[in-house]
Amino acid sequence: MTTVGLAVFVFVAFLVPVPLIHWLDSPRRGRTGGPR
Amino acid sequence: MYAGHFAAGLALKAKEPKAPMWGILVGVGLLDLLFGPFVLAGLERVTLTPEISPGFSLDFIDWSHSLVMSIAWSAAFGMFFLRMGGRIAGIMSIAAFSHFLLDLPMHPPDLALWPGSEVHLGLGLWQRFPHGWWFVELAFVALAGAFYVSRARKSDKYGRRSFAVLTIVLLLHVSNSPWLSPL
Repeated sequence: MTTVGLAVFVFVAFLVPVPLIHWLDSPRRGRTGGPR
Repeated sequence: MYAGHFAAGLALKAKEPKAPMWGILVGVGLLDLLFGPFVLAGLERVTLTPEISPGFSLDFIDWSHSLVMSIAWSAAFGMFFLRMGGRIAGIMSIAAFSHFLLDLPMHPPDLALWPGSEVHLGLGLWQRFPHGWWFVELAFVALAGAFYVSRARKSDKYGRRSFAVLTIVLLLHVSNSPWLSPL
């Protein structure tokens, strides 16, 4: 791996899991805790 | 530290469920998200050291990771969320600054006080314990993850699949182990 590869790798490693974890954490539909 | 940053994010989410998870996760990784482009732009320098744990030497990371810049980035990041209220903005700033605090025990002394400072911080667990650091971080991931799961199971506002979330963070930690990491 090159230093450029390392820089890209670190950036991607911290960004890729974000949408998946956000989705798994999100509340069930209709159970947002707000008024229904 | 890698998965430990995400684990800190989970604990912060459990502390303030109204804070958006994506924002917290971007916050805990913010300094490393800046580090990548800064290296590509030539503002920061890193050298690969395949024989020495953790596989690279962070020669100059003062613009993304110094104490003063960490405070500045954290404050700026929190301001993006001010429209959601001061408490959420504060949590986002804490999320971003947690990166510096969690890097302190792992990094060798490469965390400057400010850009160009000759004083550098870091306890160096990566180098002192080339394999042991992984278990220290695992303990933190387990503690923070357990806090998140225990709180999430009592709430319907977040943590829909809290076990899956914790599993992903644990898998990230496994992928970053001294035995499997590509670095």
